[in-house]
Amino acid sequence: MTGSVDSAQDVVVIGGGVTGAGLARDLALRGVSVLLLEKDDWGAGTSGASSWMIHGGPRYLEFDWKTTRQSCEDAGHIVRIARHLVHRCVFLLPVLPRDRLGIERLETAMEVYDRFQPLKDSHPHVRLSGAEARLLEPGLSSQVVGAVTMEEWGVDPHRLTWANVLDAVRAGARALNHSRVESLLRDGGTVIGVRYRAPDGHRVEARAKAVVNAAGPWAPEVAAMAGAAVRLRPAKGVHVVYDRRLSNFAISAEAVDGRELVMVPHGSLTLLGTTDDDYYGDLDAQEVLPDEVDYLVQAAERVFPDIRQHRPLRATAGVRPTLFEWRLSEDRLSRRFEVFDHQKRDRVSGLFTIAGGKLSMYRLMAERTADAVCARLGVEARSSTARRPLPGAGRVAQPARELAAEHGISALAAARLLERHGSEAADVLQDDRRGRLVCRCGALTEAEVAYAARHEQVRTLADMFRRLGLAAGPCAGVACLERAAQTLGEQLGWSPSQRRDACREYLACAWRTRVPVLDRWGWAQEELAYGARRGWPGGR
Amino acid sequence: MARRSAMLRLIWAYARHQLRRRFRLPFAAHAQDVLNKYAEDRLRPLTLGEHRQLPAMSRCINCGLCALIVKRVGGVRPADLPTAYLRDYTQLPVAISDLEGGDPGAPALLSAAAACPVGVPLAEVAAAVQRLAAG
Repeated sequence: MTGSVDSAQDVVVIGGGVTGAGLARDLALRGVSVLLLEKDDWGAGTSGASSWMIHGGPRYLEFDWKTTRQSCEDAGHIVRIARHLVHRCVFLLPVLPRDRLGIERLETAMEVYDRFQPLKDSHPHVRLSGAEARLLEPGLSSQVVGAVTMEEWGVDPHRLTWANVLDAVRAGARALNHSRVESLLRDGGTVIGVRYRAPDGHRVEARAKAVVNAAGPWAPEVAAMAGAAVRLRPAKGVHVVYDRRLSNFAISAEAVDGRELVMVPHGSLTLLGTTDDDYYGDLDAQEVLPDEVDYLVQAAERVFPDIRQHRPLRATAGVRPTLFEWRLSEDRLSRRFEVFDHQKRDRVSGLFTIAGGKLSMYRLMAERTADAVCARLGVEARSSTARRPLPGAGRVAQPARELAAEHGISALAAARLLERHGSEAADVLQDDRRGRLVCRCGALTEAEVAYAARHEQVRTLADMFRRLGLAAGPCAGVACLERAAQTLGEQLGWSPSQRRDACREYLACAWRTRVPVLDRWGWAQEELAYGARRGWPGGR
Repeated sequence: MARRSAMLRLIWAYARHQLRRRFRLPFAAHAQDVLNKYAEDRLRPLTLGEHRQLPAMSRCINCGLCALIVKRVGGVRPADLPTAYLRDYTQLPVAISDLEGGDPGAPALLSAAAACPVGVPLAEVAAAVQRLAAG
């Protein structure tokens, strides 16, 4: 493919996770011209594979109060600027007779954590007897002797990332997904831009006064393109995803090695996780192993004994870009972050890296990085991201029932739409296909699919899974994929064979996440579901 | 240094906690207090019976056989009750208008459940959806 030269901008940001997207937004709102590049899709890496929580991290109170405070402060900002995207997540922290933390130590930790809770608009803890805890969650083990409640916030990280990208674009940034940076352009010891492969296969050069490496666990690879070094200690985190809310409350569980795991309801799903293991493998081919799933389920079973009877849909894997520290176990590593100016560290000017941190303080990470870049560029404007609402959160949204009645859709579809688009939901429904459902499990309308293709940079069915939750429910695509491919294909000009290829490509990727969790009943159910669809997509 | 300081602060908090407990009876709140606190967030628990039925509700493959016997529960296809509605319990009070009108009755739902190839207890599903939607 031939190469071409793009227009120049002030900053190129590499990496479209939530931090990179937040950084592009922060810079664009300060009046800096920005190009944001993501090799896959927005939030497809570490952000999307997280526990889907904006949380303070009471666990860090054992070794890192500063991170807990920063995290709670920034969580408060995120909750306020993205109110339609977050939901209150109330934990039951059950105690069993021989737990590492007894009820008194656990309550002490919560008493300390209560001091941070107002920072993120959360309530203090409540202590419950075992019997009272079982009234709230009847699935809890009869062995539970007591429990303490704790509040955090849940969020869909894919939508949060997209909302940041969208706001960056509205503020003048350019943002391209499916655009992989292949090399950094250099002039002596100065990085002057990037060369990337555009979605159409063309190689494009983009010049910039500064390049920011926000590539998460891929940050060392990107830094190495300029001869700079970033040292991380990547840690793999696996989650098992269940088909519905197993409980309205999030539940913590102690694993066999004493680590704390969580079972968190999010929307119509439950996430059980996470593992935390040093990772040395291929970052582009993270696999979930059956023993990782067993480890998680074993822990959950102790407090939620019938967990094995419930239906897991898939398992996700992601790699945390934790800053390097020697000797400590993975679980004890700090979640602090650092902004590297490679001029000071490696004598490579024009290149910055943001590494470490966590989803709950992505906004702060972006702000600090933008401060460093702006200081170098001589830009004096200050960050406004802590106050400015993200798209959809600026106005009070129309109630679901009204929206449904006005546009002739079901109230459930309206509620889902509001969760994703907030006060901009009605814009999505300016389409004749609003009443037709593509995905019944997710109450997803054709109008929203078409809107996502036109306005949300959805280019593949996997992008649709992330942006709208297509095929994220119990049917896992069996019932909805073909129809979604048709609607998306109409918008993107796909031929029938391209539509079929898109379905096959999606299923091939989705299967890799499903195989580790399907037991014999799961496989039987899968066979029946395909049978009910008359063998599609086998092409008898 | 930060680690040592964090640990010392926790030890101090634990000592204070124990001291307080010596002079105060252990207080445990009631489940209802928690539910009242989170009423706005619509965090209502399942009953033990509903919880025990969840795995059976998850078996639905949306084949549509039940719809040959019961066309709609309110405005909803019966197979959508376990696969779409009875998944996010917090949204059910919002979606109650979808369930209004046209109650097929328990005998019809039992007949539909009998036609289900995977044994989804449709009458129980409908009852759970209605109860949670009522708020």
